[in-house]
Amino acid sequence: MEKENLSPQENEESAEADVVEIQGLRKTYIMGKVPVHALRGIDLRIRAGDFIAIVGPSGSGKSTLLNLIGALDKPTEGKVLIDGVDVSTLNGNQLADLRRKVGFVFQFFNLIPRLKARENVELPLAIAGVGKGERRRRAEELLRTVGLEGRADHRPTELSGGEQQRVAIARALANNPRFLLLDEPTGNIDTKTAQGIIALLKRLNEENGITVIVVTHDQRIANQAKKVVYLLDGRIERMTNPGGSD
Amino acid sequence: MKVLDIFSYAWDGIRLRKLRAALTTLGVVIGVAAIVALLSLGEGFRVEMTSQFERGFALNTLTVTAGRGFGFGMGESASEFYLVVNDTRAINQIDGVSMATAVISKSVSIASGNRTRTVTVVGVNFTQYSEIYSSTFLAEDGTIPLSPTNDTIVLGARIANPWRNGTILAKVGDDINLTWATGPISKPTIKSYVFHVAAVLKEIGGFGIGGPSDNQVYIPISTAQAIFETDQVNQILIQLVDSSQTTIDSVTEAAEALFDDKVTVMSPTAMLNTVSSVFSVIELFLAGIAGISLLVAGIGIMNIMIVSVLERTREIGILKSLGMKDRTVLIIFLSEAALIGLLGAVVGITLGWGLANVVSRFGFAMMGSVAGGGQTAQVHGTGVSGGLTITPILTPGVLLGALVFGVATSVLFGLYPARRASKLNPVEALRHE
Repeated sequence: MEKENLSPQENEESAEADVVEIQGLRKTYIMGKVPVHALRGIDLRIRAGDFIAIVGPSGSGKSTLLNLIGALDKPTEGKVLIDGVDVSTLNGNQLADLRRKVGFVFQFFNLIPRLKARENVELPLAIAGVGKGERRRRAEELLRTVGLEGRADHRPTELSGGEQQRVAIARALANNPRFLLLDEPTGNIDTKTAQGIIALLKRLNEENGITVIVVTHDQRIANQAKKVVYLLDGRIERMTNPGGSD
Repeated sequence: MKVLDIFSYAWDGIRLRKLRAALTTLGVVIGVAAIVALLSLGEGFRVEMTSQFERGFALNTLTVTAGRGFGFGMGESASEFYLVVNDTRAINQIDGVSMATAVISKSVSIASGNRTRTVTVVGVNFTQYSEIYSSTFLAEDGTIPLSPTNDTIVLGARIANPWRNGTILAKVGDDINLTWATGPISKPTIKSYVFHVAAVLKEIGGFGIGGPSDNQVYIPISTAQAIFETDQVNQILIQLVDSSQTTIDSVTEAAEALFDDKVTVMSPTAMLNTVSSVFSVIELFLAGIAGISLLVAGIGIMNIMIVSVLERTREIGILKSLGMKDRTVLIIFLSEAALIGLLGAVVGITLGWGLANVVSRFGFAMMGSVAGGGQTAQVHGTGVSGGLTITPILTPGVLLGALVFGVATSVLFGLYPARRASKLNPVEALRHE
């Protein structure tokens, strides 16, 4: 039952479909008057059910790539196709709609402090226009999935870092996204708690078929990923398949 | 996002910063309260004045006064031209006039026993005057003589009984002294006459503009001519054959032509309209002043919201990363402004209404005497407030207007910060500390 609710149906039908396809992606920022080439030509395909870790040193373009995959930003050159849709052709409203297919998880959790855990999980559902009863039911189910059933009425300040990150993951899953997109999910929590988060991600990927894309410094996450993408100076240096089968 | 969810989210935003929201709202409260208090008092004053005027009204009458002046015919009568008693004859020839009668009024003092009062004495033809004002020129005690003797005097209700406490100045059958001072103020000639009280009028109420008043005394016009040694009249009253606008217009035109446009012919309705429009201008002026305070409140809202958008940049980034549209962000911030405006308007209306009631209860004596003083043309120097009480009136228009104005100002000034919030780049917003 739970598996069906959490994973999009398309996953079952076309397990091999690309959820993200990146072709010749370049991103250049203008800092003052100097152009900064954050990404210098990236080609990458992410399939449904993948667990991908993107690693690399600071300034390698990880965050830029993450923002582009999350439809928060538009490419300077090249294409980012999310679920087959070219991001660069979309206007503001269409981008916002597309972001509902992306489950963002941030390093600093980015929960809304004044909202309770359950209300934070309900927020993307409210934004998508889901009714109150359904929102509540779904939020409670998701909090159960991430192991926080008893903490629904706590505010972020009353939760530990690990618990806050679980709430953030539950929130990211709320709208049945095509994939989870995590930015240093263990970067701000202690080692032991981090292991719990990694285990949760692995479980969501394996048991619920959720596609996971994670940008990280954390070698333990990379070890659990099916595929690891090493970025250096805005290019893919190499790719490995530590835990992957293909 | 559903409308209710948007409002609930916006409300949460306000609740989080209670003191700040309260202070911002206070600006709106003060502005709206000022508007409501001033307008409801103004409206109450206007209605009170109008009803006071209407009490002495006879719709089928016109008044002719010398001079082309504003409003009541007072003011610009400095010209050489004046009306005399015999001018009624010519007016009587005009089609549509059933009767014309002259009125002479002067300020005099009357004395009965050891009590003295300054009053307006009005010289009229009792027969004609009581025909024109058949509903107000009525005797409570005694009878108004149709062929009066020269020393006949009729007292207004508040002249006979000015203190309303059982002590009366004079009653029917009493003799009273009427004293008139003429000549230069430094060396006046004092003339004194004895009159016999024939009747005391029924209480009329109001100011008696253009008609009998509680604060006047009446003597035969021939006596007035004799003691004031003049034919000059203050006004000529015209009774029309009917009160239709056609008759009013044609007689007005004919009467003005008769005196080479050197007179002002006013109908009671026109007089009322003039008074009413004067009050409209005053009310508008007051509302304008109050509006400025609302403008200041709007700037306060804008200021606070710009700060709020800055503080919540990261939150806006989160909302956008969760798929919220720019438009929804805009609406959330506008809703916050609208809620502050609504709250401020509701509190402000309540406060303004309360304020208006307090002012009307404790401040009416002062305002009443001001109003009384303004009517010197007829209620000369009586110094009586005329029992003027202002009940503030909150018309649905003012109520709705204050509400809409409060909310609209808030939304208008919230527009810029809200737009700024909606246009934030999500990547940069998320990076914001």
